[in-house]
Amino acid sequence: MTAATPAISIEHLRKVYRGGTVAVEDLSMQIAPGDFFGFLGPNGAGKSTTIHCITGIATVTSGKIEIFGIDAVKDYREARRMIGLSPQEFNVDTFATVTQIIDWMGGYFGLREAERKSRVDMLIQRFDLTAHAKKQFRELSGGLKRRVILARALVHDPKLLILDEPTAGVDVELRLDLWRYLQELNREGKTILLTSHYLEEIERLCRTIAIIAAGKIVRQGPKEEFFTVPGGLESAYLAATGKPVTHAAAGAA
Amino acid sequence: MTGRMGINWIGLWTIIRREWSRVWRVPIQAFLAPWISALMFIFIFGYVVGGNIRHIAGHRYVEFVLPGVLMLNVVNAAFLQSTSQIYFQRFLRYIEETLVSPLSYVEMIIGSLAMTIVRSVVTSLGILVIGYAFGATHMYNIFEFLFWIVSVSIIFGLLGIMIALWANNFEQLTMLNVFFIAPLSFVGGVFNTVSMLPPFMRWIAYANPFFYFINGLRHAMIGFNEAPEGLGVLVTLGLIAVLGLATWRLFSIGYGLRE
Repeated sequence: MTAATPAISIEHLRKVYRGGTVAVEDLSMQIAPGDFFGFLGPNGAGKSTTIHCITGIATVTSGKIEIFGIDAVKDYREARRMIGLSPQEFNVDTFATVTQIIDWMGGYFGLREAERKSRVDMLIQRFDLTAHAKKQFRELSGGLKRRVILARALVHDPKLLILDEPTAGVDVELRLDLWRYLQELNREGKTILLTSHYLEEIERLCRTIAIIAAGKIVRQGPKEEFFTVPGGLESAYLAATGKPVTHAAAGAA
Repeated sequence: MTGRMGINWIGLWTIIRREWSRVWRVPIQAFLAPWISALMFIFIFGYVVGGNIRHIAGHRYVEFVLPGVLMLNVVNAAFLQSTSQIYFQRFLRYIEETLVSPLSYVEMIIGSLAMTIVRSVVTSLGILVIGYAFGATHMYNIFEFLFWIVSVSIIFGLLGIMIALWANNFEQLTMLNVFFIAPLSFVGGVFNTVSMLPPFMRWIAYANPFFYFINGLRHAMIGFNEAPEGLGVLVTLGLIAVLGLATWRLFSIGYGLRE
């Protein structure tokens, strides 16, 4: 692994579900280490499927995925140690407590008890969950649930953080707090892959942006490239995804 | 970070901790129910009815019945533990927690089976205590006893995992128990010896794997054996090997686990 080894390298990824639906078709992209990468696309475009292929939730039909130079399929255990995932949907034991959920995830990643306890305590404090630590997940509000999912993704201090719509359904206060925290983590050297439907979120946080439509990358580049046209990111997004660019969008530059 | 990982012991232990916590949310269902059921079987069939039945090879009927009742409950405990743990993980999608972590397929299977064995052993200990109250608990060979409890737990743990991977609803989850486990276990010699069966039906007992499990445990507890020497152990180890390989294969292709 050299300094130039991408955090994520995907070559010709194809994913066909058992029913025959082609979710991702010949997708190739690279994410540089330390990048804050925005992954945009309409619902059903293939964002979550791509993330699921990277993290092992979905099988890969064909193509190659490497995480910091390690094959995510052949050497999946080594690759997964470096990834923290905050999925779009809540995939937790809803009867478990906040502390248990974060602690167990640390355990799966092989963290020893002392280290695990220290990380769990720090994350519970960082995400303002102290008053809720002993509550069951199902008793929490939507915003608190989202915080637990984020804390769980960070418990093993991963080099690569994948966030699939992490601010969907959360209040403005948490969103701003989360943005600050993500920027802090990125400054510390973590590579972040973020999907979102909030263009202002991508615009504010990311340095590189890729747009996916119908399972294919239709545009990718540094953020600045998306602001060379009137209407900025919104116009670029609509144009790339094949939606008509309205005057309202074009005039919003 | 490119070095090969060894066994993820902490991850394995975490699966057991998580499942222990889940089981203790339903202690009545997990432990009290099988203990009460065993108590009723021992009291009615062993003590009340058995009091009027002549000794079998020098053993009171309640002593003869206890290993069979114990084995029935081990089979149930193992099957319910493994089906519920895998199915609930799929149903609530927290199976994804282990899928995204650095746990190998073998570790995931062993973690599930370890808790299956723990639940079976705890269930067995309770039934041994109940049997002791009736003066029916004996231990002819403790190592044999442990072999049968652990190996039968593994067999039904593996079967439970496969059913839980296949099932798409709670109805399907109970099918194997209703149509296969319950009937075969009852005709596997819980209440009778093979010699009590009409001669033309005895081959059914020898063709039924449950007979070897119950017979093996009975030998471990009271020294009574009706099967050819070593055949039960061979059948059991063979089943573990076949079911273990099949389960590993299902995990490695992501059947019921990965999209």
